[in-house]
Amino acid sequence: MDNLIEMRGIVKVFPGVRALDDVHFELRPGEVHALLGENGAGKSTLMKILCGIYARDGGTFLVNGRPVEHLTPKKAQEMGIAIIHQELNMCQHLTVAENIFLGREESRFTKLRQKDMNRRAAEYLKQLSLDISPETPVSKLQVGGQQMVEIAKAVSTDCKVLVMDEPTSALTNREVEELNRIIRELKARGVGIVYITHRLEELTPIADRVTILRDGKFVATRDFRDITISEIISMMVGREITEKFPHVACEPGEVVLKVSHLNAGRMVRDVNFELRKGEILGFAGLMGAGRTETMRAIFGADPVESGQVFLNGKAVPLKSPAQSIRSGIACVPEDRKKEGLCVELSLRENVALANLDRLKGPLGKVLRRKEADLTQRAIDELRIKASSQLMLARNLSGGNQQKVVVGKWLVRDAEVVLFDEPTRGIDVAAKVEIYHLMNQLKQKGIGVLFVSSEMPEILGMADRILVMCDGRVTGEYTSAEATQDAIMRSATQFESRKGQAG
Amino acid sequence: MIQNENAPRPAARTRGAASGIGNAFHRMMQIRGMGQVVSVTAALVLMSLVFALINDKFMTAQNITSLLRQVAPILIIGMGQSYVLITGGIDLSIGSLVGMSAMMSATLMTHGVHALIALPLTILACLLVGLLNGTLIAQAKLPPFIATLGTMIMARGVAQIVNGNMNTDQITAGGAEAIRDLFYYGKFLGVYTPVWLALVLFLVFNYILSSTRTGRHIYALGSNYEAARFSGVSVKWAMTKAYMISSFMSCMVGFILMAQSGMGTMDAGTSYELNAVAASVIGGVSTMGGQGLLFGTVVGACIWGVLQNGLQFAGAPLALKNIVVGIVVIVSVLIDRIARSDALDLKKLFGRRAKA
Amino acid sequence: MKKVLVLALALLLALGTFSAATAEGNLVYLITMDKMDMHWVSVDAGASAMAKALGLDYKWDAPNAKDNATQIEVMNNAIAEKPAVILLAATDPQGIAKTVEDAQSQGIIVLYVDSPAAAPVPVTLSTDNYAAGKLAGTTMIDELDKAGKTSGKIAIISVNTATNSTMNREKGFRDALTADGRFEILTTEYKEGLAAESQEAATNFITGNADLVGLFGANEGSTVGVGNAIKAENPAIIGIGFDKSDAILGLLKDGSLKAAMAQNPFTMGFLGVSEAYAAINKLSTGPSVIDTGVSVLRG
Repeated sequence: MDNLIEMRGIVKVFPGVRALDDVHFELRPGEVHALLGENGAGKSTLMKILCGIYARDGGTFLVNGRPVEHLTPKKAQEMGIAIIHQELNMCQHLTVAENIFLGREESRFTKLRQKDMNRRAAEYLKQLSLDISPETPVSKLQVGGQQMVEIAKAVSTDCKVLVMDEPTSALTNREVEELNRIIRELKARGVGIVYITHRLEELTPIADRVTILRDGKFVATRDFRDITISEIISMMVGREITEKFPHVACEPGEVVLKVSHLNAGRMVRDVNFELRKGEILGFAGLMGAGRTETMRAIFGADPVESGQVFLNGKAVPLKSPAQSIRSGIACVPEDRKKEGLCVELSLRENVALANLDRLKGPLGKVLRRKEADLTQRAIDELRIKASSQLMLARNLSGGNQQKVVVGKWLVRDAEVVLFDEPTRGIDVAAKVEIYHLMNQLKQKGIGVLFVSSEMPEILGMADRILVMCDGRVTGEYTSAEATQDAIMRSATQFESRKGQAG
Repeated sequence: MIQNENAPRPAARTRGAASGIGNAFHRMMQIRGMGQVVSVTAALVLMSLVFALINDKFMTAQNITSLLRQVAPILIIGMGQSYVLITGGIDLSIGSLVGMSAMMSATLMTHGVHALIALPLTILACLLVGLLNGTLIAQAKLPPFIATLGTMIMARGVAQIVNGNMNTDQITAGGAEAIRDLFYYGKFLGVYTPVWLALVLFLVFNYILSSTRTGRHIYALGSNYEAARFSGVSVKWAMTKAYMISSFMSCMVGFILMAQSGMGTMDAGTSYELNAVAASVIGGVSTMGGQGLLFGTVVGACIWGVLQNGLQFAGAPLALKNIVVGIVVIVSVLIDRIARSDALDLKKLFGRRAKA
Repeated sequence: MKKVLVLALALLLALGTFSAATAEGNLVYLITMDKMDMHWVSVDAGASAMAKALGLDYKWDAPNAKDNATQIEVMNNAIAEKPAVILLAATDPQGIAKTVEDAQSQGIIVLYVDSPAAAPVPVTLSTDNYAAGKLAGTTMIDELDKAGKTSGKIAIISVNTATNSTMNREKGFRDALTADGRFEILTTEYKEGLAAESQEAATNFITGNADLVGLFGANEGSTVGVGNAIKAENPAIIGIGFDKSDAILGLLKDGSLKAAMAQNPFTMGFLGVSEAYAAINKLSTGPSVIDTGVSVLRG
């Protein structure tokens, strides 16, 4: 049986960094081959070479036994290689069908056969059991919906090799099951799948082999049956992680944050809860349950219809993030590239951005020395990996970007910190550091709100857990009484549907 | 079947014959950017009525035909600029290319070169400038503002030296009279020729933008350059095409001006690129790229022409005119932002049942 | 070491004498409002012809587009080249006055051609624009009488409100017609002297006023537009214009324009350089204002 893909001794060098150093990877037809490693290990780079986006600097690259040179995205597509990227790559102004057929539009005598393409797109969507109309502009879909469309797009190219880079990061559990079903079908058809993820538990139902990279170097390729998750983790980070969730017990103090009858559109309906000093309050639920929207409302980022938020008994004006920040609330948002960081600014400028009032000298000048010291404090406390303080935020890896987002609040000494999916898309070692950070804040007496879709994480770190479903709070558990079943029950407690369009 | 809470619910069917029109209207409103086009068309009609009331000579057949001829050049360069705006760029060289086109064709035609040779040569020269723009921007990755600023200065320089830093004489070479009729003075079915030219160009280039692969790729790369590239679109070539189309349109308008005065003037087309942006922006083409309808640019050009023409008929002093025109541009951009935000659901306004 | 110092000193001295020599050189610098309007091209033609005849070094420069700030920069650059004389056509009389004084304080002689600035200089050669405008007005009235028109509307196409010369012409024209009293003058359209735009504005005037009897263009581009509009829309309208160019001569010939007030830009340049020569050689430069006049061109 010929390998679909054979990459040996691959080298890729960028200015200042050796992204890939003698890496081997092969893919058989009909297998799911997981590609694992910390952020910055080189997984995305390797895949970009596979898809023709980058050119390799050394090594051999065979497709179906034949060597490949000068690959472009279009040629790779023609050879049957498809990729679903980690960061969503859709043209927001175009419809679902237009995105699915982008780059391979069908036309007759120059005229686009839009009706045909819409029809075929509808078929692909139906195959994936997606209730999305092909004529919907992509911008109207939520992140999870857009992710599924990306999957539909890749599947529709009738590919032989499918690369999935963090495909489930924005999906609900049921969508993940659907995805696994599709993957099994593709396997049966002889398609080879490269599966990149940080959610190692997801591999169990589908993975055949795993390849682990670390710091651009090849570590090992194993059969999935012959290896355990903790062995994989060890190989990924080069050290044993003894404790997965460093939960710290702490005596919670008095109530620091009180949310009372908060209403903000359909996603935040009559939300009530209290947060104590020194407590981590987890927010669990499905995608679209309203947890992010609740955080945004508290932070003043979205308009609020009614209800109040009290910090230490004082009402917080919910008109703007600036006011919430001044009151003592900090936020680490869900979409760090869009809302957490200015990617074109440097690390130092990003940290300084939230702290300019502290760094002002007479006449409003920014005190450079103080700025550098503050940034160094953030770098040290969070072990941010950057070559210098002046490195542009966009050049940092996902995990380090997240640390910068957190870091700028850390040095601010806020009383309440809202974390919205802080560990999504970052590597294991960085995740642990975020957990330690939350504990640090907790032990300082700060109240921590922690939104996450990874149940083990919430069960492991939170002192209390609130569950939301469709905009309402549907369950509250202490860490002792919470189980995955109980949380899932609350998370699926939808209201019966009223008033169908008819 | 997963009831994806992300997906908007399917449209309900309305009943009755009247709903047939309602359905067609609704389908039209679904086209991206149509909201703005409808609102500016309404504004155009309103504006015209106001000017007609102020001076009854405004609505005469004579003025309307004259007005349409005044709109044609703005419309043509507006379409070129729209193509570039949709890619997320801007073409500042439009005005200078108009001048270069007028001077080049007139210079050739005052030196005995027949129109049938002079015009194609000029078209070729303008396309080369467009190719240069595209190469600088797509390949060398220069910001469009900077690259087209450079070609703007260069093209104006060519316009000056091509006839030794002098305006040309009256064109006399073979075909001169025919060119003057074809591009400006001729009438067909009661409508001046530049209007027909604008119409033909609109039909062709609207088709390209809305119904061909090239047009789709242009929208895509303006919406998300990387996504388009990763999907196998030849983004560099598509972007270059947009700039070449813009240069072609500028060339056509240069011919119109040359035909109008029967000669080439070195300052022809000055600041036309900004008029082209105004027409596009009023018509709903976003300066951020990725969206806009060419028909919107048509309406935008009409509004621009009606303003210039109508304000003169109303006897408005110069200062007032500039202020009014400036306000119109700002208001149309604001309308565009408001219509796009969730604060105002235009679909609700037009009677569709709100989604649950 | 000593040798190097001596060498360096010698070099410096040589450079010093060299630049001093060029300062004493006979460079005449012409700075106009822009380089595209045919009017300036003619001024330059006259100036360079006389400079050649007198054996003077000569240079012509102007901003790309008519703009006061840019013209100041152009003048500063010219001053740095240490010419003997600068002939200036000022875009903004007040704005550039200080730069003129600056040049004079450095020993450069400044003379004005076409448009003076606010600082005093030995000689100004220009058209008396107000008088010329008034002459255009009386010419318009004559032509209207000849055509048998005793009432109706008259419209003006001018450049912009910031250019003194054209504003003065407009004022002269309006005063002449107000004195006559029989005709109504409409609000002026300002089209930057661009022929195409001026033609459109003129066409709009014709379309919008059935009783329009006369059109006036205040400079070359405006006049070309006016003439072409009359030719295409209504040849019965009386067109009076300003300046001389091949296009205008053609329009006069076929009757689209009845008369044009031709300035004498060539003479401005020609005489300007001879005055420059007189100033350099400390000869008498005659009256401080020389009106180079207009002639009324007819078809």
